[in-house]
Amino acid sequence: MLSRASCRVARLSPSGTRSYSVEATDERWPGWQPVIGIEVHTQIRARRKLFSDAVANFDARPNWHVSSFDAAFPGTLPVLNKACVDLGTRTALALGSQVHERSSFDRKHYFYADLPAGYQITQHYSPLATGGKLHVTHTHKQVKHGRDVRIHQIQLEQDTAKSTYHPGHTLIDLNRAGAALMEIVSEPDMRSPEEAGAYVTELRALLRAIGASNGNMDEGSLRCDVNVSVHRPGEYFGTRCEIKNLNTIKGLQIAITSEIRRHIALLSSGQSIAQETRGFDEDRAETFKLRSKEDAPDYRYMPDPNLPPLMISQDYIQHIKAGMPPLPSDIRQRLAEQHKLSERHIDVLMSMWEVSDVPFDGERRENDALSYFEEVAQGRSSRLVANWITNDLVGGLAYRGETFSPERLPAAHLGLIIDMVQMGDLTGLPSLLFSEPCSLLLPPLATSGRALLRRLLEEPCTSEPLSAMIDRLNLRSTGADGLQQFCETAITRLHVEAESARKGNTKVLKRLVGEVMKTSKGRADAQAAAVMLREMLGLPADETKS
Amino acid sequence: LCVAVKDNLCSYWLPTTAGSLALSNFHSPYNSTPLRLLLRAHAHLLGKTNMDEFGMGSFGVHSASGPVQNPRWEGRVAGGSSSGSAAAVAGGLCDVALGTDTGGSIRLPASYCSIYGLKPSSGLISRHGLISYADSLDTVGLLARSVRVLQRTFGIVNEWDEKDPTSAPKEVREAAAQQARERLQELGQGVTGLRVGVPAEFCPSELSASALAPLRTALRALRAQGAHLIPVRLPSTPYALSAYYVLASAEASSNLARYDGVRYGFRGAVAREEERGDTARMYARMRTAALGGEVRKRLLLGTYALTADAFDNYFLQAQRVRKLVKNDFDTVFRAPNVLSFPPSAALPGPNEQGVDVLLHASAIGPAPRMEDVQKQAGRELDAYVQDVLSVPASLAGVPALSVPVSGEGEGEGSVGVSVVGQWGWDELVMRVGEVIGDKIDD
Repeated sequence: MLSRASCRVARLSPSGTRSYSVEATDERWPGWQPVIGIEVHTQIRARRKLFSDAVANFDARPNWHVSSFDAAFPGTLPVLNKACVDLGTRTALALGSQVHERSSFDRKHYFYADLPAGYQITQHYSPLATGGKLHVTHTHKQVKHGRDVRIHQIQLEQDTAKSTYHPGHTLIDLNRAGAALMEIVSEPDMRSPEEAGAYVTELRALLRAIGASNGNMDEGSLRCDVNVSVHRPGEYFGTRCEIKNLNTIKGLQIAITSEIRRHIALLSSGQSIAQETRGFDEDRAETFKLRSKEDAPDYRYMPDPNLPPLMISQDYIQHIKAGMPPLPSDIRQRLAEQHKLSERHIDVLMSMWEVSDVPFDGERRENDALSYFEEVAQGRSSRLVANWITNDLVGGLAYRGETFSPERLPAAHLGLIIDMVQMGDLTGLPSLLFSEPCSLLLPPLATSGRALLRRLLEEPCTSEPLSAMIDRLNLRSTGADGLQQFCETAITRLHVEAESARKGNTKVLKRLVGEVMKTSKGRADAQAAAVMLREMLGLPADETKS
Repeated sequence: LCVAVKDNLCSYWLPTTAGSLALSNFHSPYNSTPLRLLLRAHAHLLGKTNMDEFGMGSFGVHSASGPVQNPRWEGRVAGGSSSGSAAAVAGGLCDVALGTDTGGSIRLPASYCSIYGLKPSSGLISRHGLISYADSLDTVGLLARSVRVLQRTFGIVNEWDEKDPTSAPKEVREAAAQQARERLQELGQGVTGLRVGVPAEFCPSELSASALAPLRTALRALRAQGAHLIPVRLPSTPYALSAYYVLASAEASSNLARYDGVRYGFRGAVAREEERGDTARMYARMRTAALGGEVRKRLLLGTYALTADAFDNYFLQAQRVRKLVKNDFDTVFRAPNVLSFPPSAALPGPNEQGVDVLLHASAIGPAPRMEDVQKQAGRELDAYVQDVLSVPASLAGVPALSVPVSGEGEGEGSVGVSVVGQWGWDELVMRVGEVIGDKIDD
């Protein structure tokens, strides 16, 4: 548990540098306060690269999507891709940053085989946006923590080519050279590895939601560099070290923890921290030195003379604001208020939506779980629809080892099934229980609605009218006569249970209903069957249900 | 039109070497825009012309393909860096040649070879396909034996290009052209009422007597035809040369970083054992072999100027000087500089105290002898001093035309006369050139 015993009051040092700490200390490193800042490099979800019209596709065969400019051929010049500025501005607005009216591009020089021009075009002197914040919550040892992590700046820059190392030689793939990157630099506001992980998770979700990036850390479309230092609460911030190229949240947290311990070990033994850039060895779960401050290269930043300053007007900012997709928090609020869905429904729908593809160039998401839900819910009960989707559809797909995709069961078909169940042409689950996804409450009943759904998943793309299919598969629900027959059969078959029920044991009624559903192959209406069985067995009508 | 193209403008069918060993085997996958426009207009491409390596040189002797002889003045250098283009035109091999001018590389060889050399306003002719030396200074231009051919060729290549981010937008071109047209109408067919500025700072102590004679001839001719001669001052001129070399070298160190032989061009011998895993050493060895001495010198100086310690004192300071030089021109010219105003703003009226054009000598003297240059008989800085008169117009991005004017007592080579105008006033500059220039070709 975090101890509050060592809280101190904020106090600024005389020189004005930040050195305060109001935090309590963590039991893992009592008496020490870690300070963490993160630089996130994320690939902007644009179809084409930042300064060339080559397509940004990094999975294609090597050196296939390369323009003359990307390969730094003589005589080529950069032409800015507006979509990248749009998405950068969207990000700045979503984080509450101030978008600068004027920003400019600079060249950062160093020689390396993955940098064809010998320089990277970035924004060193005057970035796209500064300021802003991201609210981050995380739970550590059952205590919930929340903090606003401030953003230092957001800038646009080129990505390098991809190097693959082999013994004796290196292969260079220029598909990625010149792709658009956004660098989001945070202030050193984080105080624990868990908070850092939560920050990256939260930022990633935001970037995906607004369409700025697909935030795929495995593919490398989101990479982190972390700055870590430690200090005793109330004293100046300590010397920081940078850990480069962390590609998983878990790795990030382990690296930070390892680095904190390393700093504390050194400082505790009276040594000082050398300002270094370090890498992270995943296998040994520790950081290692890449280069010291003295070895740091001089990048010789020079304003790029080919690129005029980027001028951004208030009109343009309003235009971007107007086109901004809703944030996850807004969507959740709408599902709760407008559709009156339960929190569990919302969680499931949001998690289905979150994994859908992020479209390019900031276009609207189509064919995702939420637009599917909206379509089916048109003119129907939202909660009913949510239940069918989160329960039966997801369940049916999971049974087949598939994840949700709107093509699997067209919205119109699902809508039809739901309508037919409501009208009684198909059987579904009792409508009472639609307030919650009820698969956990009752044993799965073989309803004909669900059976039809599963059948449609097996054989999609049928041009056969649904009605005909229902009859062909003999799924149409039984009328009252048919029901009577099934009930009588059930009572005969399970005479022991029937006898028990006649004596007043109503719990066993479920088994009889189940038998009715089984023999009718789900075509009987469970609720009607229950009513009829009670009647037949001479039991009073159930007052709890109505 | 038969056209020769300087070898730093990319061509698809012929090699593009930029006068360097680094690109000796390079075939560009595309045509530079100026060449493409000329070919579209059915011009005939004669070939690619020799040049100082990557545009760095004033005499035309720093080329991997050897020095260029001056066809008009035997035994003398042709000037650089558009040495081959000037020689091809002066020698009658073609009608017009494409050249490039970063600090005087068209005007100086034009002056040495006694032909017309135009450095247009910056941003008018597309730089797409021009191998960059210093992007903020590089300008594609033309060399010919008559103003009429210059005008005709200029009309073909003077177009906005979406592939060049520094290509002047159409509204801006139109705004300046509109003003220039009105003034040309006022002047009628000739130059009556033309206000000609003679800047005092463009007669430095290095200037030889032979450089002043053609200038005097030109001024007398203009005055005889009704022009007014006005002495003017451009006080920042003495600082321009230093600022130019700092900026040009710094930008060159950036633009030439790509020549490592990995993706194209000269690669040299395979990596040695001790270079494994050390990209920097391999690059250093290759680039030392592939790039000539003059280029290496400027790259090293340019790299230094960009280092963290030196940046403020050299690069930034040079940018400040550049701004002063630009302001000097804007102060003396009658017409406002349309680049200084936002697109929607109304332009102010003309400054009646200002001048329409400036006239000055194109070079400090005639072309030096080839043997003197190759033996480096002069002082080491002589080569750089040649540019002192041409760099101010380069820093300001204003149009400048070197005109062949026969002076008295011409024995050992000529010196041209430069006509400089406000940004976008290329037509007026060419008209003045037509009035004062020798008729070599008709």
